[in-house]
Amino acid sequence: MGRSVRLSNRKQSNTLGLTVIYSLLSIGLIFMIFPYVWMVLASFKIPAEIYNRFLPTQFTFEHYQTIFSLGTTGSSHTFIKSIFNSLFVSSITTASVVFFGAVTGYALARLNFPGKTFLNNFVLFQMLFPVVLFLIPRFLLMLELGWINTYQGMMAPFMISAWAIFLFTQFFKTVPQTLIDAARIDGCSELRIIFKIILPLSKSITMIIAIFTFMAMWDEFLWYLIVTKDYNLMPLSVLLGLYTRGEYSSYPGILTAGATLLTVPILALFFLFKKYFTEGITMSGIKG
Amino acid sequence: MQMLKRLIHGIQKRRFTELVGYGLVAPYVIYSLVFWVYPFLWGLIIAFKKWNIISPDKEFVGLDNFIRVIQDPLFWISFKNILFFMIVYIPLVIICSLSVALMLNRIKILRSFFASGYLMSYVSAGVAYSIVFNLLFAGDGLINSWLGHVGITIPWFSDPRIAMASIAMIVVWKFMGYYGLIFLAGLQSIPKSLYESAEIDGASNWTQFWRITIPLLNPSFIIILVFAVMLSFNVFTEPYMITGGGPLDSTQTFVMQIYHQTFTALHAGYGSSFAILVAIISFTFVFVIRKMVERDISYG
Repeated sequence: MGRSVRLSNRKQSNTLGLTVIYSLLSIGLIFMIFPYVWMVLASFKIPAEIYNRFLPTQFTFEHYQTIFSLGTTGSSHTFIKSIFNSLFVSSITTASVVFFGAVTGYALARLNFPGKTFLNNFVLFQMLFPVVLFLIPRFLLMLELGWINTYQGMMAPFMISAWAIFLFTQFFKTVPQTLIDAARIDGCSELRIIFKIILPLSKSITMIIAIFTFMAMWDEFLWYLIVTKDYNLMPLSVLLGLYTRGEYSSYPGILTAGATLLTVPILALFFLFKKYFTEGITMSGIKG
Repeated sequence: MQMLKRLIHGIQKRRFTELVGYGLVAPYVIYSLVFWVYPFLWGLIIAFKKWNIISPDKEFVGLDNFIRVIQDPLFWISFKNILFFMIVYIPLVIICSLSVALMLNRIKILRSFFASGYLMSYVSAGVAYSIVFNLLFAGDGLINSWLGHVGITIPWFSDPRIAMASIAMIVVWKFMGYYGLIFLAGLQSIPKSLYESAEIDGASNWTQFWRITIPLLNPSFIIILVFAVMLSFNVFTEPYMITGGGPLDSTQTFVMQIYHQTFTALHAGYGSSFAILVAIISFTFVFVIRKMVERDISYG
């Protein structure tokens, strides 16, 4: 009798606890998504309502119309071009990081050659150094190569990533050797082994590397700011940043429309590939 | 004869896989030499030179640049600002993300819904969320007009005493879900049996939290502290976009200084020695924090 009373008490306090937890989590969640909701609503509001009304009384597309037709002297649709620039730079870099990451990771995990240990250590060594050390000399290198204001210049520092090589190397060590041997007996070249056998088995690590690289490139600001001077070549992040600090600083409608355009693609990517985002972060938490 | 043939064949085969190996790592090696090793060394060299990028002469000045950085009041102002940023950012983000993780760890229904909800802010681009918060927290923005109903307005980004704290706060918004997931992974790796035996011994929830949860989360704490410290030393986009380093230099950061010195004032040598000092300081911080916080945990 006493025991069952205790149990039901416990159950009650558990339900109470859970109610509190769910309420707190929900309140927190509202705070987390509020800036997004406000941003999207603001981009459709008439200017008078942006600052001091949360819900708009009327919708307008004028900010998007303005932003899409914005041009600079001698050219038009600068904003649309910048979206293209961002997509172009981010996709090429992502493909390159995955390709060279997989190839190098395979060699470092599965082949034996003198100097391998050194290279493995070098990959770790590279990951230690902060970007800030490289800003200036890399900029000077771009000057020397004549790559200021070019796509190559924007992408050069990001084309091969030590972080991706490290993750691929770790993961490829777990692929069974028999699969590789069987493929070799069938006369597969090493490149075919990597891309037809190993990568399909490593789908989740590949997706994690691709998604995080794409996101980082889309979000990149400082390097693009340093190497691009021509408005028509700028990725969206820099163009929007310069507009915000420059001539459009007092047009909140245009700015929130721009911010929405910068956010929506990555947010879409996030909802499509939630699983890999979570997995990637959890992995960094375990491995460090 | 047969054996010799096999031996030669074996050597050839080994040579072949070695060649394949070198072929596969060659792009990485060449790329690293050009875009990593070369700039790395060059950065070290120009730190000892006086050079304005445009002129061809690069005068060797020894430690002059480093001495000038240390004497630069803006170096110390930036340092102070970053320390202030850390003092606000690190405790706040740890409390928020750990609370979220503890709550997520307790629930079963809707866990992944809430987890991805809290992670949404992490994917927002620096420029975009800087714009949004700058408008939301503006002097006459929505937040202040709401606060106005209870008779207060806060000059979030325009009061030099709190501008950096406001920036730290919006960075907390961005990263608390991310750190929360790292904590959650840490919580889930703690064996349930530890809590069960603590329960039998009559330990209260509070005791369990401080004696089991916190010590066994040590690896997660280390990762998050290292991430947070590195992030603090690299803050750039938010102050660049929102305050431009003001008011009264209260949101100047190291990276903003390096950017300004090199790409506006064209002092490449000076900027380079600035960057080296910043790297040394951030390494020291990470090292000290690891030494202070890292514990060898073992159980089972």
